[in-house]
Formats: sequence, C-alpha cells, structure tokens
Amino acid sequence: MSEPRKPGMSSLHAVAPVQPSDSPCAVDIDPVEYTLRKRLPRKLPKRRNDVYVNMKTDFRAQLARCQKLLDGGSGHREICVHGLGLAINRAINIALQLQASSQGALQLAANTSTVELVDDLEPEDPDEVAEPLTRTRNNSAIHIKVFYPDPK
Amino acid sequence: MSAAKVKMRQKKLRNQPASVQCLSSSVHDEASTHPNGGGGDGPSGKDALSLRKKRSHQETGWVRGHQKSGEVYGDKMPQFITAGVFARARAAEVSAMLKAVTKTTGSCHVFGALPRHMRRRAMSHNTKRLPCRLREMANRMREKCLQGSVKKKEQAKNKSRKARRRHGNMLLEFNRRQRKNVWLETHIWHAKRFHMVKKWGYCLGDRPTLKCYRPSYRAMSTHCLLQDLSYYCCIELQGEEDKLLDCLSQLTSKEAGPTFAQRLCLSGQRQGSLVLYRAGQFPSQPLGSATFLWRPRTPGSVHRHLWTWVHPTLKQDVLAEFQSVCQCQAVVPPPVPLVIDAKVVSTTDWEPKPERKHTPGTKRKQSDKDAGGPLAKKILGDGTRSPDTPVTWKSSSTGILINDLTMEIVRYRLIGPQSHSVLTEALEAATDCDESIKSQPSCLWWPNHCKEESKMKLHQQQTDLFHTLKGVYSTAELPPGIVLGLTVDDPRLSIPPKRVKALSCVKEAQEVSDEKRKELSLRGVPEHCCESFLWEQSVRNNVTENKISEQDLNRMRSEVLVPGSRLNPVPLQGRVPILLVHQPGKQVGHEMNSWGAGWDLLLPKGWGMAFWIPLVYRDVRIGGLKMSLTHSQNKGVPHFPHDYPDCPAGAHFQGEQESELLEKFKRRPPAKRTNYIKHGCLAPFCCPWQQLAEEWDVIGSEGGIQAQSASLDDMATRVERTSHHQVPVTKQQTHFTVLRTRKSLRLLSSWCGPTSSQGQRSYRVREMPSLDHTAKKSFLASHGMSLVWVRLSVLLKGKPDLHAMVSVPTADDLKLLSRGGPGSSAPQEPPHRDHLKSTLKRGKKGTKKVASDTPSTSGQMTTTSNDPQLSCPASDVVLGVWPNPLPSVTSHCSRVTLGWVTQADFSLSAGCGEALGFVSVTGLVHTLISQPLEHRGTVLLRNPMSLQYRFAKINIEV
Repeated sequence: MSEPRKPGMSSLHAVAPVQPSDSPCAVDIDPVEYTLRKRLPRKLPKRRNDVYVNMKTDFRAQLARCQKLLDGGSGHREICVHGLGLAINRAINIALQLQASSQGALQLAANTSTVELVDDLEPEDPDEVAEPLTRTRNNSAIHIKVFYPDPK
Repeated sequence: MSAAKVKMRQKKLRNQPASVQCLSSSVHDEASTHPNGGGGDGPSGKDALSLRKKRSHQETGWVRGHQKSGEVYGDKMPQFITAGVFARARAAEVSAMLKAVTKTTGSCHVFGALPRHMRRRAMSHNTKRLPCRLREMANRMREKCLQGSVKKKEQAKNKSRKARRRHGNMLLEFNRRQRKNVWLETHIWHAKRFHMVKKWGYCLGDRPTLKCYRPSYRAMSTHCLLQDLSYYCCIELQGEEDKLLDCLSQLTSKEAGPTFAQRLCLSGQRQGSLVLYRAGQFPSQPLGSATFLWRPRTPGSVHRHLWTWVHPTLKQDVLAEFQSVCQCQAVVPPPVPLVIDAKVVSTTDWEPKPERKHTPGTKRKQSDKDAGGPLAKKILGDGTRSPDTPVTWKSSSTGILINDLTMEIVRYRLIGPQSHSVLTEALEAATDCDESIKSQPSCLWWPNHCKEESKMKLHQQQTDLFHTLKGVYSTAELPPGIVLGLTVDDPRLSIPPKRVKALSCVKEAQEVSDEKRKELSLRGVPEHCCESFLWEQSVRNNVTENKISEQDLNRMRSEVLVPGSRLNPVPLQGRVPILLVHQPGKQVGHEMNSWGAGWDLLLPKGWGMAFWIPLVYRDVRIGGLKMSLTHSQNKGVPHFPHDYPDCPAGAHFQGEQESELLEKFKRRPPAKRTNYIKHGCLAPFCCPWQQLAEEWDVIGSEGGIQAQSASLDDMATRVERTSHHQVPVTKQQTHFTVLRTRKSLRLLSSWCGPTSSQGQRSYRVREMPSLDHTAKKSFLASHGMSLVWVRLSVLLKGKPDLHAMVSVPTADDLKLLSRGGPGSSAPQEPPHRDHLKSTLKRGKKGTKKVASDTPSTSGQMTTTSNDPQLSCPASDVVLGVWPNPLPSVTSHCSRVTLGWVTQADFSLSAGCGEALGFVSVTGLVHTLISQPLEHRGTVLLRNPMSLQYRFAKINIEV
C-alpha cells in the first residue's frame, strides 16, 4: 500500500495540538470572540516511500505499512517516516520498532525541522474586522530515514 | 365478480350469436336472460322463487356437468317439447356456432391457435418454428405487418437522417427543444454522457452513465472534479453602499452568522455565504441559503455592485424580497445591448418557423438553404424567457437597481486539492496586443483597455498572482473564499492533443515566488486585484458577441505553418475576463479539515464550451447533481434545497420527493413491497417535522412540571402518556424552525458530549455552561419548537439509509453498548402488527358477503365501516404505508423517536456509515440530560426497511 488510502487522513494536520502559550499573539486574542480554524500544513510532493504518520490511524496499521514498504515486492531500500507535533513520538516509535524487528539490518538517520502552520481566526462578529486574521505558529517535525546500509 | 372474470367472459362472448348468453351470478341478470336462452324450452314453468333459490348456490356463472346441489335432473327437465320451436332454436344455435368457428377471434396472431404451452417467443419472427399447418398463414401475416410498419415510418419522419443532422436544421431542433427547459451551454456535452433530469426549469445532468461514484470521490479528495453550476441564478444589486446595506440588513441576522455587511466580504476580497430570511422575520421564516460577492470599491465612488447567487427554486422568492426591501418596483426597459440580444432570441424562438413540407422528389437542400440558413442562431442564456420579461428594476427613492442576471454568467465549480493546478494549466493570462493595433480604434474591448496604463498595471499584478498559484501544493492552503479577477486568452488555443493530468509542479515554481506564495496564503488577494471586467455588462456583451466560432478557429489553425503549433499572435477577440472564487472546504468539525476545497470559475455567457473542453482535457472528472449531494454530505453541510425543510423551497422539495418515492414504491408488485407498518416506520417517504416538533414541545412542557429526576424509562412512559392524552389542539400554531443561531448551536454542541465521533478528545476548551436543569429550561424556553442539524456517525456497524429514524436508547441499550465486544449488538424493534391490512382484508370479505348474500351479515359490515382506520377513503390507501393522519410519531416504536435522517450513506472519508439529519432540540436536550456522561450523545439509528437499531454518535458541528 504505497499510496495512502485516504490522503486527507494521512496528512499531518490532525497531529498538531494547540498550545496557546507557544505564540505570543495568543495572549491578546480572546477565545470567546474568535473561532480558531486551522489550515492544513503545507504539503510537499510525496514519493512512494514517504510515510506521514498521524495520530488517527491505528499504530499497528502504520507500522505494518512501513514494514510492507521495506520488504515487499516494491523493494524500497529506504523509507522516510515523517511526524509533526504530537506524532513525533509515534514516528520515532515506528522507526525503532522497524529497526528492532529487522535484527539490526536497518539503520536510522533522523532529521528535525520546523514547520510553519497557519491558523485562521474567525471573529464572532465579522462585521467589525476588516483585515483577515491569520496567524502563523511553528511546530516541530521529525523526518526519519530508515534504510538498509549499502553493503561494502 | 372480479374484473378479470368479467373481461374473460366478454372475450368469450364476443363473437357468439346474440342468443348465446352466459349465466351470471346476479339474480336480476338471469331472470331476464333465461327465457330466451333455452329457446323457450327453459325452466319457465318453474316459479321464480325456486329458480332464485337454486341460483344462489352457484357462485359463478358457468355451470358445468352435474350439479351436486341435491337436486335431481328430473327437476330441470321439461315435461314436453314442441318440436317445431325446438328444432328452430337448435338450428339457430348450430348456425351461430358455425359462424363463430370460421371467424378468427381476438388478435390476428397465428399462434393464438396454439395452446399456450406450445407458444414460443421466437415464433414471432421465425415462422419455421411454427407447426406446418400454421406456417403459411403466419408468413402472410408477417408480410402484411412489415409493409404496414414501413409505411408508418415514412409517414412519421419526412426528412432523411442526413437532412436532420445538417447543422442548421439541428440548431432549429435544439432551439425548439430548449423552449420549455433551459439548457446550459454544456448541455449537448452532458446529454451524451449523463442521465439528464428536468429540474427547476433546467435540463441538468444527474449522474454520469459511467459507473464512477468512487472515482469521483477520489477525484474530489486527491485531484479535481468539475461541475457546471450555471443554473444557479445571479441577482445583481447596484446602488450606494449604505443604502444597500441598510436594505439588506432586514434579510439577515448577525446571530445566524455573517451578513452582507461582513467587512472582509464587503471589500470584495472574499465571497460570503449566508441564510436569507423574509424581511424582518429572522428566526421564523427563512428563505434559503445564498452566496454573495461584492465588487471591489472603485476609488472615489460609493456606488457598489453586489452579486447574490441563489438556487433556481429560491430565485423568485429572493427577487420579490429584494424588490420589497429596496422598494424597487419600477421596471426599467432593458438597455440597448440587451435589446439586441433579445431580438436575436426572438428571431430564433418566436418567429413561426417555416414549416417545410416536402413532396418527395423536390430538392430538399435548396429549400433548406434559403429558408433555414440565416434564421437559426444558437440560443445563449435563458431560452425560455420571453423577451419582454422584465429583468431590471429600479427604485426612485433609494436609487437601487436590481438586475436579474440568470444565465448571463457561466459558473463552473472545480472541487479538489489540485483544482488550482488544473486552472493554471488550462488558462493563460491574456497577452498584450501590438502597438500598431493599439493605435487604431477598435470595437473590441481589449485593445481599448491596453491603451490605459493603469489597467495594464492591474492586469500585470493579477497575472503575477495567478502565476503564484502554481507554487501552491493544495487548494486548501489558501485562505477560504478569496477572489481573483483575471483576463485570460482563449483557452481553446492551448488544448493539449491528448488528455493529460494536471499536477502541481511545486519544485519548478519554488524559486519563483516563495515569498509571494506565503503572502498569498496568509493575506489572500489584495483588494484591487479582485476587480474583474466581468462585472461590466458592456464588456460581457462585447466578449459574448465577438467570440470566434469554432469553425473559424479551426480554419485559422489549419493555416498555421507547423501543424499543431499554437496560433500566434492570438486573435484579438480571444481575451475573456473571468473571476476565480475560492470555495472553502469542510470547515465544521474536527476531522477532514478543508476537504473538498476548490475554485469557482465565472465566465461571460457564450464562452461555456470554450472553457469546458480545455478543462476536461486536464483529466478532471465531471460530476452531476448526485455528486454535489455527495460533496456537501462529506462536508457535513446542509444541501439546498434538500436540507432546508423550514424554507418554502425545501418544503416543496420534500413534497416532490415524497410523491416520487411513493410512485417508486407503488411500482413494485404488492407482494414485494416493504410493509412499513410492520417495520414501525411511520414516515418512510416524507418526514413530518412539524408534528415531531409539536409532540416534543408537549413532552417538554410536561416534563417541566413534573419532578426533575428524569430517567430514560421515565421519559418513555411520559411520552406514552402524552400520546394517549392526545396533543392539545388548542395550542397556537407555531411553525417549526431550524436552529441557526451560532451561539445556541455552539452551546448545544458542547453539551453533546466530550468526545467527537472518532473518540478524540475535543481540544477546544471553552467556558460553556454545563448541562443542568436550569440551563435546559432557559435553553428550551427560546428554542422549544426548533430542529437542529446533526451529523451521526455509526459506532459499530451499519449503513444508514434515507429517512432513517433517530431514536433515544434506553438505559438497558446503553448497558449493551458498554459491555462491548462484537457480540453486543444493538437492540431490535419488535415487529408491529399491520392493523390496516387485517381490517382491509376483513372489510373486503365483509363487502363480498354482503353483496352476494342475505342481510344477515350487515351487522358485521357496519362494525367494519365503523373502524376508524377504514374510515379514510380507501382509494388513496397504499398497503404497507400509514395513511394520514399519522399517530404519535415519537412514541410509535419501542424507542422514542428524536428525528430523521435526510442524507445518509457510507462515508468514504470517515470509513463508516454516516448520516446527516435533523433532530428535535427539545428531544435532544432531554436525552442528553438523562444520559450518563460517558454515553452522552449516543443515539440509535434505524433504517425504514429494517428492525435493527444501530448505535450512533451525535455531533453538532459549528
């Protein structure tokens, strides 16, 4: 299953919990007067061996999917496991499980990054606000490369 | 006597001589027929009384063989025969018999002569399958038939197919056919590929003839789905901003969400959507949903344009309401360009077409040419409207101008994350024209525009923004509802030779404009770039009139030196102003955010097909009405007019749907129909919302008086009691409404339980009053007669159907659920008894007896007729469906009914059955308050054709 069955679901958007203390502007926005709508994180083109981990799909299913990519007929020598926000833990977990089950044949290389996310703030009284209210906040992401080392 | 028997008898007697009669059961008949039946030798000597007695034993008319009625033959035998009379009578009979034998009876088919079990269908065309003796006759018959049909065909169509398919004649035919229902510009394209339906005065594609439900869904969630929404009606309002806002504020309310005055929309940067109400009647009389778009301000002017897009069923209501609030009653005669347009329509439409009746042999071609050639012109816009129908109204007091732009603007909708890349591939920003052309005066709009520096600068900025779109990966990244004005080249010039899939090319575009892309996704389109010349009527008309025809374009293409290369320079007529409007995806709820986002493409009329084909060549899927329903279902929003039962259009739709479903139900053979009465389903075809709201209102008010400890079973008994009490009729008639007040919806949503449907903890923590009895009381005081739009996700298994019932689970049911495991199934409804059927049966028997026999059973008959269920007229009783008036809808089943489902399917996005529908607010609050916290918001769903309940989670998404 190299293509995600439900691309909307396998994207990263679900995994980012709001942490109002993160961003400085959260303090001055009254939660009663605005409704927060989160936009999807910016997606990048996806290769067949990219796995985006989320918190909605069952853990075992995601693990099985990675395993299948590695040893199935598709024959990927390496896959990339991506996790954003809350799903970082799960991404690490998946990578380690893969490595453990391979009896040391697989190696890991982790990279971290910061992803910029956009929130729309919808005012309760829309007649008042002229400017579109959006704010950006940052969230951490991890990209783990799981690969078979080249035989030398 | 049944109708079939009568028919059979008539058939048998058709060619009999007059003297032969058949015995019928009615006494009167026999008395009159018998004396001559036997030629005077009948039992005339017997007295009438004994005859009657004897006949009463015979149920049917034909008497065969020996009668076992205890009578002896001797009784019937005459004692003497007059030879002459007897012989004459027999002779007459014999001659009649001979005559009947020689005459063919019934249909002229030969195999009428064969016994039924020896007939075969193939005999009708292969006479060799018939027995020898019949073959000759069959051959003769067949020849006769063939000749007849040939003659008939010739009479029906006096033109050859070639003549009929000739362009001019075809146009005439098309124009004739679209006089009743409006055709969209893509009609022919759709008619070849779609199941068409006539709806709302339009011919619309319902669903493709291909099987492509799932591919279409996939297109919506990963690539792009295209729909023609040109049937939506656009109403233009012009006037000063303050006055417009002043007038329109009566139609909306701030409580129900954004209004026309929403600042962001007012600047023209965003498209807004709202629910319209009758003037000043906010919660009680809604009209329906609409989207609106302001034209950006022109500096130094307060004059504004506003486009309101409404569904065609809603148009007349909204137009009348606009006219009354703006006091626009004076009809303005259409301006000059419109007159020209109207004339074109009138020549094609209303001038009596020269009926060409050809005598075979005359030269058809010539007469066609001189008569039909110059007349036929394609109808653009609304072909059904007569030219003198007013389209413009003006007010003398407020200066507001209302303009009905129905079918003036083509609207295409692209749904899906890749829809922007389809647009960027299919369209190209207009190219500038040469200096030499600029210097000459031109009747086309584009060269004139090119002369002005400011306009070209704006065009450049818009083009830049359009190119920035290429760097966006998914349509959902953009701010919801942004608007971009643009002028593009004729897209027919850049059609690829093959269908190619348009994919976003982020990599290539990245270095171009990362900053710009960020700006676009954060701030949206700046105000001045939202301006488009599509707003100008003169430009629209100019563009429509000067469109290059397909034929000319192809000729120009064929003259290009390198075949297949692009036309260069682009012909001057090929510049079209367009508007791109972003459609936000799913905005409510927490799952599948911004699913189904896309772009709307607005075009001047006449250019529909010119844009349609290039879009199709970018490998989009095309959807019909069915797909828009699926789209809104997955988005979780109510679809107009299906899910607006409190609006006049919605009520009308419900009535239509009911008759349609009832017709479908009646088409099934009676033995194969579902007996909805036995399934305890009161309203399989039409949901009685009013009755539901009233009944719950009564239950609620009684509950208020009683003790506050309301357990579920208590409630059930209370419901029962009220149903026995009968709803007090004296209560004043208040119409039910759908709850649309945002604050109340939010409150109700927070009460519906701490978890969302997928079991995730809701992260939006708000200071909401918790659900207790005081809160309940105050809430219900204002929304007692309301319904609320809910989404139901099935918890375990089951796929809900249309008009499935939403019911309250009892405490025992909830225990079943909490026990868990696959074995714990939801409860079942005990089968109901079909009283109606049994009484009908009894009634039938009773009437038969009464008709055939003595008055001794009349007592029984009176009892049956006194039965209340038979009292309704028997003609409109359909077996298996409850007749009106319905009994109490809430307490009819073993579980108390809360509401019904109006859209239901297996949701491909959630991976489980999902349903959308309305429940009574009173019922919902009562249910929620009596449920333990861990099961709060759990309800039961039951399909109309099943007795099995299914557990579902209720969600109110704001």
